[in-house]
Amino acid sequence: MTEVVGTPRLELCSLTKSFGAVRAVRGVSLAIAPGEIHGLCGHNGAGKSTLINMLAGNVAADAGEILLDGEPLSFAGPRDAQRAGIATVDQELSLVPTLTVAENIVLGQVGAGFLRHARHARRRAAELLAEVGLEDVDPDTAVDELSIGTRQLVEIARALGREARLLILDEPTATLTEVEIERVFRAVRGVAAQGCAVIFVSHRLGEVLGLCDRVTVMRDGERVLDAHVGELSPDALVEAILGEHLQPAPHRALDPRESTTALTVESLAIPGRLQGFSATLLGGRVYGLAGQVGAGASDVLRALAGLVPAATGRVRLGERRLPLGNAAAISACGVGFVSGDRKAEGLFISRSILENLTVAQLGRIARGGRIGGAAERRRGCELAEAAHVPTERLGEPVGVLSGGNQQKALLGRYLLHSGVEVLLVDEPTRGVDVGGRAAIHELLREAARQGQVVVFASSELDELLELGETIVTMRSGRVIGTYAEGTTREELLSDLTHREGAAA
Amino acid sequence: MRVALEQRFGPLAEWRSPRGLFTGLAALGLAVLVVLALTTDRFLTVENIKAILSSASIVGIMALGLTFITLIGSLVSLAIAATAVMGAMVFLAELHLGLVPALAISMAAGAAVTALQGLIIGAWGANPVILTIGAGFLLSGITTKASGGVIVQPAGGGYATLNSTPLGVPLGVYVMVVLALILQFVLKRTVLGRRVTLIGENREAARAAGMRIPRITAIAFAIAGASFALGGAFLGAFNKGASAQLEGTATFDVIAAVLVGGTLISGGRGSALRTLAGAIVIATISDLLLLRGFNTGAQILLKGVLVVVVVLATWVASRREGTA
Repeated sequence: MTEVVGTPRLELCSLTKSFGAVRAVRGVSLAIAPGEIHGLCGHNGAGKSTLINMLAGNVAADAGEILLDGEPLSFAGPRDAQRAGIATVDQELSLVPTLTVAENIVLGQVGAGFLRHARHARRRAAELLAEVGLEDVDPDTAVDELSIGTRQLVEIARALGREARLLILDEPTATLTEVEIERVFRAVRGVAAQGCAVIFVSHRLGEVLGLCDRVTVMRDGERVLDAHVGELSPDALVEAILGEHLQPAPHRALDPRESTTALTVESLAIPGRLQGFSATLLGGRVYGLAGQVGAGASDVLRALAGLVPAATGRVRLGERRLPLGNAAAISACGVGFVSGDRKAEGLFISRSILENLTVAQLGRIARGGRIGGAAERRRGCELAEAAHVPTERLGEPVGVLSGGNQQKALLGRYLLHSGVEVLLVDEPTRGVDVGGRAAIHELLREAARQGQVVVFASSELDELLELGETIVTMRSGRVIGTYAEGTTREELLSDLTHREGAAA
Repeated sequence: MRVALEQRFGPLAEWRSPRGLFTGLAALGLAVLVVLALTTDRFLTVENIKAILSSASIVGIMALGLTFITLIGSLVSLAIAATAVMGAMVFLAELHLGLVPALAISMAAGAAVTALQGLIIGAWGANPVILTIGAGFLLSGITTKASGGVIVQPAGGGYATLNSTPLGVPLGVYVMVVLALILQFVLKRTVLGRRVTLIGENREAARAAGMRIPRITAIAFAIAGASFALGGAFLGAFNKGASAQLEGTATFDVIAAVLVGGTLISGGRGSALRTLAGAIVIATISDLLLLRGFNTGAQILLKGVLVVVVVLATWVASRREGTA
């Protein structure tokens, strides 16, 4: 598939890396020519970050080879990678804000002496800044006076100063404005024109198609697509990222039910992330918010759960007004939230399955403030059964369960008349295998059958089509379309991705 | 090499498991203590054991309260000594009302000033170390000013009860043990204790689960503050007076007891009984060193080493468990 003439700048041969039982990168081979800009796409967890970390010397590969200009490399740490000519710029800027631009550019440079020669550093910095189009920036400016986009360019200048043969840009545009993005692109093209190979990681497919020469897509640790951008349509790229293995299942009609619960949302907004989201969400229905990372779907759920202090708007559950920004008060009104990051914000990972199941119902289980006895155990068993979590393992730490069972244990806390009327679920099946996924979808349908308002956010089209009765598509913090009567893959794809640079 | 070692000591992997490491260290420490105890003159006498318990009691009472602050993930309070001094002064000054009212007022005052710190930490995520340093200075200033820099004398005779020794054991020891049992029950068998532990384990998850973090943090701090004041009252009674300079190292002794007990400094794991054990272990070691003729410097040094070793072991154990 690869058509590199001569010795490739970078060649990966069957690179493999596992973390415990998780095979993060499975035998990835890849060749990038000097001067090529190579896009790297894939879902979170597809293996991109692990691949980048291996190239940057942050983690060691289990098997396989990395060749730079035909020479095999092995890194003991990031410093070795830097010395070999691999420079990485990631989203987390690594400049020291209080130092000047010139100081930052020479800082940590291999070969930079113990004593800094200020005049030399300044001259060198000015040259490098010119290469990325920052002639107008004074090398003596402190970095914290620069905009984020300019800092990104300074990072690229610094990478050039290290005489990089390979430049890795890990989501460099996530926090930039359009104008800044254009400047970064110009700098990247300039760098490539000098023969440096570039790997560009991004979730923004329009940018990938606009900037890169070739694109690699990773899914489940494997390389599933390698194509010239000229041969690649936006839809084909999205399909490759999302995977095609599951065809949309027909809508399963839910039992007719009566619910008077209604969540009314008026002009919900978060400065810089979400604009004017309004909807009336009814009990007994499953609503899907469709959007790629950063499109605003997750933000809607987090704001409704009270986890975004900056959120504004009017939200009512029945007659009660929900106090935005106060998660405890909103939770007390009967709103349950399941985070998309279950380890960081969902489960108490080293506590028992039992404690995780009963956490949202402690007030109901307690007798005079006391818990931890037979009553809690009984309730835990009921919840575990309802959530299809193995009941004989209640005493074990929840962290020992598989991803699917962890997710079920997390959902379990809101089941069985827990007083929850609205269930907000962010990425219900992230990191969950196919079997667990079907079970979790059924749990959410069952919750709707019990009369709850169920709202989930997902970046996965198949999940939206399978589970969502009403689907709301979002992009750049705005609602694009609402589909109450079913929709198609094509419609969703078009709403989520089109005209974001692909047409330009 | 490895095979030979395994033949002799069993599978090496077992020694590297988190529980194995922790239990191994604890067993080793205990063995050293027992050997030292058996070979030290006058150690195994009823009088000496009483002395150990009595010297553990005041630090222990305060450490039991501090356990709540550490468990909820707010590290430690550095205002312990200042709160204890305030507790001592209030107790002695209010003794004219009688023993029980004076104790109640003193503990309520300690609870109130400490709960306020907890509220600020819980609601706005203030750094507990910085905030409690500030609060400590503030309290010291207030107590110094209020007492006019002189020693506060008991305003009644009730303090003698705190110095009494029912069945030959100081009252403080009984109070420490009963308090440990009560707080252990609160931590393990009540909604409050469960929430304190879960917030310490994962604050973000607790917030997403709808817990009232500011309120629960304030309650945890209130329990700690009341116990600091109670410890202070015992100190004041013991010294028959209280000055702003009373017990300068109390803060660090109390922190050491919590940490040596094996409560995780980052929160979420620990118990009142562990802290009780920590206080007794420290008192035992100090006693041993004293009997063997080491000076105060050596005692403090060993306390420091012990804290560092246990904190590291606890941390390593929790990390291994987390990644397993």
